[in-house]
Amino acid sequence: MSGGLLEGRLIVVVGAGGVGKTTLAAALALASAKQGRRTLVMTFDPSLRLKDALGVGASAKDKPIRVIEDGPGFLDAALLDAKRTFDRLIRTYAPDAAAAKRIFSNRFYRDMAGNLSGILEYMAMERLFEMQASGRYDRVILDTPPTTQAMEFLQAPDRMMNLVDSKAIRFALDPWWDGKGKKSLAFRVVAKGALELSDRIIGRQFVLDVVEFIRAFAPLFEGFRSRALEVRNLLLSSDTQFLLVAGPGADRVPDAMFFLRKLAETGHHLGPILVNQMHPTPDPNAGKSPGMTLLHFLAERDQRGLKLLSSLFPGAQAIIPVALEPLPPADLKSLGQFSERLMKSKPIK
Amino acid sequence: MSALARLAEWQLLVVTGKGGVGKTTLTAVLGRLLAGRGKRVLLLEVDPRESLHQVLGTDPSGGEIVQAGPRLFIQNLQPGAVIEEMVRDKVSIAYLARKITESTAFHQFIEGAPGLKETALLGHAYRMLHSGRPKVDLVILDAPATGHGATMLAAPGLLAKAAEGGQLGALAADLAAFLADPSRCGVVLATLAEEMPVQETLELIDLLQARLGIRPALIVANGLYPSVDEPTPPGRSTDFLRARHQLNESELARLMEAWDGPLCHLPLLPLERGPTLVAELARLLSEADP
Repeated sequence: MSGGLLEGRLIVVVGAGGVGKTTLAAALALASAKQGRRTLVMTFDPSLRLKDALGVGASAKDKPIRVIEDGPGFLDAALLDAKRTFDRLIRTYAPDAAAAKRIFSNRFYRDMAGNLSGILEYMAMERLFEMQASGRYDRVILDTPPTTQAMEFLQAPDRMMNLVDSKAIRFALDPWWDGKGKKSLAFRVVAKGALELSDRIIGRQFVLDVVEFIRAFAPLFEGFRSRALEVRNLLLSSDTQFLLVAGPGADRVPDAMFFLRKLAETGHHLGPILVNQMHPTPDPNAGKSPGMTLLHFLAERDQRGLKLLSSLFPGAQAIIPVALEPLPPADLKSLGQFSERLMKSKPIK
Repeated sequence: MSALARLAEWQLLVVTGKGGVGKTTLTAVLGRLLAGRGKRVLLLEVDPRESLHQVLGTDPSGGEIVQAGPRLFIQNLQPGAVIEEMVRDKVSIAYLARKITESTAFHQFIEGAPGLKETALLGHAYRMLHSGRPKVDLVILDAPATGHGATMLAAPGLLAKAAEGGQLGALAADLAAFLADPSRCGVVLATLAEEMPVQETLELIDLLQARLGIRPALIVANGLYPSVDEPTPPGRSTDFLRARHQLNESELARLMEAWDGPLCHLPLLPLERGPTLVAELARLLSEADP
């Protein structure tokens, strides 16, 4: 037993930027494959070192790459690319090639769709669903994008559904824009006001670009909507476990508490909490050089952070400290060794 | 001219870098340092979970401007609040302004419009420099960690293009010109001497150059492990420290291969995050001034 680190068919690794999520996700995936599970790790932006260790290049953006095979188990790795997934989604749901083409050539889509808030997160979820539904894997481990501000990917399906259902979208789709259709006086007053306001402040061309974009998208809405609902259910399923990775020290505790509160609010299933990058306590005979004084300080600081987190977090989940590796794993062998150490890590409560 | 003397000449400094590399601490250190040199400095924090006040040992801002020392002020700023204030400014009828800011369409527009939130924050910094109270000479922006800082700096240009012809577009175009002026605005990159942060720093340098023609004024490598001196007894802890130090050294070498501009090293110190640490780092940065 490892404190339930590898439980469920889907494991979502979350946490603030710079806490080592990607390496942990890869190490967990390796352990899962060695336990005989057909495993996929999906990641956003691994370091060059980790890409080398996993042996994945740009081709992993299109389809998963086999990393190792071990008896019945194996490990595949896939890189997530929001724009490519978005493009593929449009091809899937567009009623015909002309509709897809209209979207691809829209100025707003070309320049800005990738920048829209939440799109990246939604696309990650979309690709995840695709992989999960393929039936090729017993377990999928998802490394999430570094979001410190909010867990936007959790809200992504809801946001997509809200957007599709929103009044603003319905308004944009209304034939009134073309001077067609009979409208009530109230509608005309509001619409005229909105247009005048947009003229004065936003600029009419911008509004028309957005309206055109929304219209080109309209035939895809129903598909998007039902898919977003399925993605949301997958994330809430009891077979999906969220692993929170926190940085060491008291300074990082507010970040961890933020994620924990959000996960509790949204009803997602929380697994063990990993406190990563803990400095080791120096050997008693290591001397009192400035370096050792610093290491003493860092080790104590990290222990204090661990205690603070466990005192603030009343949940039943295990809190597992994970030691800072002197050097990050650079090949499959050192990733494997890290993975073994990780699986042996003991929870503090 | 030294790198810090150049920073003191500017009106807007954007501090950016990957998450967890010490941007907020560096923002405080630069603020302390430049306020100490006679500038009136406002530090703007974007992260809704405030921490700048802890680093400087003051009360939280909660959106207000708080004094954090002689000539030094901090403010935590949420883009939604700035945009709502802009609407109240433009729409003179209070009832109508409230109707707009309360509508879901308005919030979807804020979320969806490319570059709007970022432009609003930069616009606030610009206003503070020209008509703000208290009067400040320099704004230092602790830029958000999500995505690259380049996205934020590119936002006004993007919005100016998208919303051409309207007031919003005109405002964005003014801001884009301000940001592109190397005599008034500059970028400071914070990093750790570890693989991913260095990689992102190198990518960011290229991206800033390609998209905006901006070259960072200064790169600060934070949290460096000390070298292990000879009398240290051999053992597990010594090996650990040595490995961390060597990792720092090799990553710094990789950084310097691609970057020949000003670079400062700041050590990892046995001090809690707070005013004492800020004062010590400000002293070290001032000494190391490239």
